[in-house]
Amino acid sequence: MKRIAVVTTIYRYLTHAQHFADRFLVGYPKEGKWHRPNMKVVSMFVDQKPEGDQSQDRAREFGFTVYPTIAETLRCGGDKIAVDAVLLIGEHGEYPHNEMSQVLYPRYEFFKECVKVFEEDERAVPIFNDKHLSYSFEKAKEMVDDAHRLNFGLLAGSSLPVTWRLPDVDLPLGCELEDALMVGVGGSDPMDYHALEAMQCMVERRKGGETGVAAVQLIDGDEVWKSGKEGRWSMELLEAAFSRSDTPCGLTDEDGRTQDMIANGEIYRLVDNPSAYFIEYNDGFKATLLMLNGAVRDYCVAVKLKDEPVPVSTQFFLTPTPNVTYSACLVSKIEELFETGDAPYPAERTLLVSGTLESCLMSRHQGHVRLETPHLNVKYRPPAESQHAQR
Amino acid sequence: MDKRPKIAAIATIYHKYSHTQHIVDRFLEGYGWNSQHHYPPMDLVSLYVEQVKDNDLSSDRLERFPTMKGYPTIAEALTLGGKELAVDGVLLIGEHGEYPSNDKGQRLYPRYEHYMQIVEVFDRSGRGVPVFNDKHLSWNWDWAREMYDLSQSMDFAFMAGSSLPVTWRTPSIDMPLGTTVSEAVCVGYGGVDSYDFHALETLQCMVERRKGGESGVKWLQAYRGDAFWNAHHSKLWSKELFEAALCRSHTLTPSRPGFNNPFPTIDEMKEIVNDPIAYQYEHNDGLKSTMILMNGLVQDFNFAAYIGSHNDVLSTQMYLPMPPARTTLANFFSPLVNNIEQMFLTGKATYPVERTLLTTGLVAAGVDSLHDGGNLQNTPHLDIVYQSTEESTYWRT
Repeated sequence: MKRIAVVTTIYRYLTHAQHFADRFLVGYPKEGKWHRPNMKVVSMFVDQKPEGDQSQDRAREFGFTVYPTIAETLRCGGDKIAVDAVLLIGEHGEYPHNEMSQVLYPRYEFFKECVKVFEEDERAVPIFNDKHLSYSFEKAKEMVDDAHRLNFGLLAGSSLPVTWRLPDVDLPLGCELEDALMVGVGGSDPMDYHALEAMQCMVERRKGGETGVAAVQLIDGDEVWKSGKEGRWSMELLEAAFSRSDTPCGLTDEDGRTQDMIANGEIYRLVDNPSAYFIEYNDGFKATLLMLNGAVRDYCVAVKLKDEPVPVSTQFFLTPTPNVTYSACLVSKIEELFETGDAPYPAERTLLVSGTLESCLMSRHQGHVRLETPHLNVKYRPPAESQHAQR
Repeated sequence: MDKRPKIAAIATIYHKYSHTQHIVDRFLEGYGWNSQHHYPPMDLVSLYVEQVKDNDLSSDRLERFPTMKGYPTIAEALTLGGKELAVDGVLLIGEHGEYPSNDKGQRLYPRYEHYMQIVEVFDRSGRGVPVFNDKHLSWNWDWAREMYDLSQSMDFAFMAGSSLPVTWRTPSIDMPLGTTVSEAVCVGYGGVDSYDFHALETLQCMVERRKGGESGVKWLQAYRGDAFWNAHHSKLWSKELFEAALCRSHTLTPSRPGFNNPFPTIDEMKEIVNDPIAYQYEHNDGLKSTMILMNGLVQDFNFAAYIGSHNDVLSTQMYLPMPPARTTLANFFSPLVNNIEQMFLTGKATYPVERTLLTTGLVAAGVDSLHDGGNLQNTPHLDIVYQSTEESTYWRT
């Protein structure tokens, strides 16, 4: 039975640590069964333990130990690494922000402490890193490089790429893409990250695989609508993405009606501060994320394939709170990593998205300028098989 | 058809989140469909609304869509004020509104009464046009049967039922056509004579695809409260299928504080579910189906069945994006309206109304069994034999 260490910022009800680690403790729904991983959480590190901390209660009930340091957690209090995998969850908890409004979660620092143990004890084990690798591409790159250097499996990222899709579609591997547009909502930098990774898990399937990002630009406010009217992003794809939304606001909130929010102009009234994230890839492909708080409350993508008159569109289905069964979809991927040692999809996706987000926020910080991003020269091939929930 | 069909809507009431609002609005305002905001290629020209109250939306809709006219009677809505039938399709939406209930707790929605007025116009005009009846045909079995028989004898397309058979599924799967099914279960939620119908349609749209097609139902027995748990413990239905259905839920009530998604023990389920209800029934070919309402434990509709020669478990959720808690739009009405549109365009129902005739009879039998202290109800009148469509009709594009 694999022995798991949990390394996290905070363990309270409805934090990511609780969502993910609990599933290793009590099981989770998988393919129509209640699945109990053949693994045991043996140790835990929790950086912050404010009121509501559940780590001690869980430790008592499920028979593991909460250690004061990450090294002790990985060594289970002994002098050699004594776990077979690490669940690293640096999300939630009180951490400072930088001037680009990024939350400075200590994922890199936690990861480096794990790596230090791996090196000292001459044994590396798989790590799952929740969400983006780091707010800093440089740090994120070092994390991925460490995984390659020490040859351990690294999986990272959001639940959006692996949750159910409405409809259940993926892009054909190697397809020729003309355009992609993602609609997301929520704050920056947590939620734009999810939206960018959702879009990335689609567009990485284009012909030639992922080639990296050449330049980005983030614009805010009325300029977003202006750029749409000028054709910098596609109104047709926005309509396609909206066709998958279950949550149009405004008039729909008022009396339940369906509405074409572009044609009736509601979108311009509803969204106080739209943002557009323009991403130019090394192979010339361009994609756009629109963050449209006020218009909708779900995450939908639309993609134009060459020679296909109708765009492909879908909703990344964020199943209801508190079950958030979408996190069960991600835990099944984490379990696969822990079981086999191999990540079911490359951490390079998350690396690229981590860096893309950082550069977008830098663009905003520097007055919405276009930034060339030669450092985002991250090339990878997506897995041939679709990884989202289908069974 | 070379011109745009004209459609009449006959409704009990038109307010926010009423079925009328969900369905009629989609004809008027269009709806998201297949990467576009789709406008049905037909005109909703007339509206009859029986109850107009403070929360009414029909006056707003009539004002904003002047091509649609309101009429004070059903006959006038169908004749557009003239003498003869003047529309090409009819929406009959008898759900919501203030109507009395009978001593068995059935809400006496006037679907049959409205339908008979529609048919009267058909009769006098010497022709019928396609009719969609929202939800079950009638609370009264004899009336439901008469509605069905009239559609057959007058030879007009008739479609009815719930959104459950046509909405998204997670996972997006259908019952393989022609497979053997040895037992089926649906675990859902909601009240008797309301959401039981949705759960029965969920079951029926799956099991009707089995080998031989639907053979009708010979008896039904309802279980409630302690009788439910006794039946559960006696394995009257498969515990494995019951749990498989629960494992498709996205809304399992956490049985322990501080945990967001644990699987409840039986004892915890008994704490959570005050009034569990099951309708179990045997089809004429021997298949046993069980509809279970677990109010408090789940807020979705989940299906599981043993299929094939190895009794493999097939399970899925029929997903309802339900406002206002989870969404703003009840988008499960979009595939329903899309199917109705197809019927209005082609003159053919996209799936058999016999399904809804059967589930109408099952609701009535379930209500009767509950009213009769849980006694078994023989249902020789539910000898309803039909074949499913070959192609799946649920939402997957």
